[in-house]
Amino acid sequence: MDTNRFTGSTKYILDQELAKIVNISMVLEMPLLLKGEPGTGKTMLAHAIADSLQMRLIILNVKSNMKLIEALYQYDTLTRLNDSRFGDSQRNVSDIHEYLKMGKIGQAFTAGERCVLLIDEIDKAETEFQDDMLDVLDQMQFDIIETDDVVKAAHRPVIIITSNAKRDLSDPFLGRCNFHHIAFPDPKMMRNIVDVHFSDIPKKLAENAIAIFYQLRDLEGIEKKPATRELINWIRALSADPDFREGDQIQKEIPYLGVLFKKSGDYQKSADTVLKKRFFRN
Amino acid sequence: MFVQFFYSMKEAGIPVSPTSFLTLHKAMNRGLVNSLDDLYIAARAILVKSERHFDLYDQIFAYTFEGAELPDIEDLENEFLAKGMLDEWLKNPKVLAASLGLNEKELQRMSPGELIEYFKQRLRDQKGRHDGGSKWIGTGGTSPVGHSGFHPGGMRVGGISRNLSAVKVAEERRYKGYSADGPLTLRSMGEAMKRLRHLVPEGVKDRINVDASIYQTIKNGGEIEIVFDRGIVDRLKIILVIDNGGWSMDPYIGIVQILFQYAKAQFKDLKTYFFHNTVYDLLWEDPQRYRKPVRIDDFDKLDPDTRMIFVGDASMAPYELMAADGSISSFVRSGKPSIQRLKYLSDMFGHTIWMNPIPQNNWQGTYSINVIRNIIPMFELSLDGLEKAVKYLMQKG
Repeated sequence: MDTNRFTGSTKYILDQELAKIVNISMVLEMPLLLKGEPGTGKTMLAHAIADSLQMRLIILNVKSNMKLIEALYQYDTLTRLNDSRFGDSQRNVSDIHEYLKMGKIGQAFTAGERCVLLIDEIDKAETEFQDDMLDVLDQMQFDIIETDDVVKAAHRPVIIITSNAKRDLSDPFLGRCNFHHIAFPDPKMMRNIVDVHFSDIPKKLAENAIAIFYQLRDLEGIEKKPATRELINWIRALSADPDFREGDQIQKEIPYLGVLFKKSGDYQKSADTVLKKRFFRN
Repeated sequence: MFVQFFYSMKEAGIPVSPTSFLTLHKAMNRGLVNSLDDLYIAARAILVKSERHFDLYDQIFAYTFEGAELPDIEDLENEFLAKGMLDEWLKNPKVLAASLGLNEKELQRMSPGELIEYFKQRLRDQKGRHDGGSKWIGTGGTSPVGHSGFHPGGMRVGGISRNLSAVKVAEERRYKGYSADGPLTLRSMGEAMKRLRHLVPEGVKDRINVDASIYQTIKNGGEIEIVFDRGIVDRLKIILVIDNGGWSMDPYIGIVQILFQYAKAQFKDLKTYFFHNTVYDLLWEDPQRYRKPVRIDDFDKLDPDTRMIFVGDASMAPYELMAADGSISSFVRSGKPSIQRLKYLSDMFGHTIWMNPIPQNNWQGTYSINVIRNIIPMFELSLDGLEKAVKYLMQKG
């Protein structure tokens, strides 16, 4: 089992707690449900696991009106009808299997080796979808109604499910998952994350940018707080600007607030605060 | 011990299921749990399914496996003192350090949270042995904890320090801000918003959707099926009445206002008024309760379907509520006792509630809370309370 133990990857900073939870879920073969603010790296975790364990990653992006069957398989009736009428394709019309296409969950089940299945933003879908899907994942098999075949998982995939907590998940659903809530990284952790993304920016720039970032996050009455993604983009913008590249200047003025704040109200509020601060300092 | 652990969680209100308890045992049998740290993490991932319960879990874990004290009064007192010391320290580090005989540099290395702990430790020590200020130094060894450094496998392990034992981690109570009970905080704002989102009326399903009906009928091969839509209903009007009197309410006023401000788009109209302790003849539109008074008697011009939400601690002397002239502000001359005023408002608006930041188990002891509760349904100003309140406000009739 030791070879299959997840410890982190080059692009993903992992705290030990989460690493243990991932490992427990892998051994127990239970899906891991991750909740947390946007920008805490829920989705990235699946990428990191696939990367470091060298498994294939299959991503199911959940949509609000999604039916479970779409995630399992698709029977392409239209193409079959077309083929039967015009008959100019290579496919054998009398063989229904030619027209069955596996959805993401189906792909994960039929894959030749163990893979990572990421089910992203489960909370977007209806509760029925969630429950039905968990049934499938629990039994690791589903039926293809058209052919009466049973698709069984050859290798249980590592399943990561993320949720932005838009709506509450049902109890039976929760009962079948392991759960972890990723808190927003603290400044020290953030420093590591920034280091992973930018190997060669001046130390001062990283430190100052992170310090200011957390100050701005703490502003009262901000509706959408900037997350890791915004910080990374902001630092990218700063390091592209010759005035700010060295990191001294941002202590005096804070540029590119639009990169951090995406709602006009928030932008206005942050700009006001920044202006006030400058005014009182000078 | 594990069974007891399991049941104390259940008793504390964490929805744990026996199945998940068995799963935990499975994890232990597989050799996944080798230390208390592992147990802390594994049990939480398997048993606790919401970050709202993480804080409770932390407390129970610490209590079960270390016998950490559940909060007692003395500790609260210390916390209060320590907070005061922290403020003092932020204002003037030198003076405080000197008066305690501490090394200023040493304190500077600590984060505010660590400082509080440090001060609390000192305060506890101080209670234990009264042998002068100089002895205060050096008992705790509260050196700021460093990084966990590198994983033996050469993997990067960052951020949150794991030099602490599981019980210590649990005692840190990192998830306090996400807790479902306990007053609302800025951190739980997102969760609170979600609950408020249900504060939208639903119409009756009485409109025929012609297009969908035709479609369904054709799909049924001619068997007629009529599809109904919900009728459109106007959005709600909300009146928010906030007690911004005493300091006890201070932390919550901003939070409540921000919360409803965010949700403004889903209401037709949102008005905010202020009062002190309880309601007499007037409410004020300005937080200073001075410039823009509004007479209670004028409220009968408003739509009776408006939802009225009081926010206040409802704690005051009985006479303020009952006496015909009970106001503690002398210029508020009222002919009627406040209790009658509250009744008048709740009769006028069918959906009136009171949100109270004081935890519900402390309500029994306060006379005025009980009186007001009899007139206006009262809910705790917490995530759970908000959920119940929204449910109540959406009731028909």
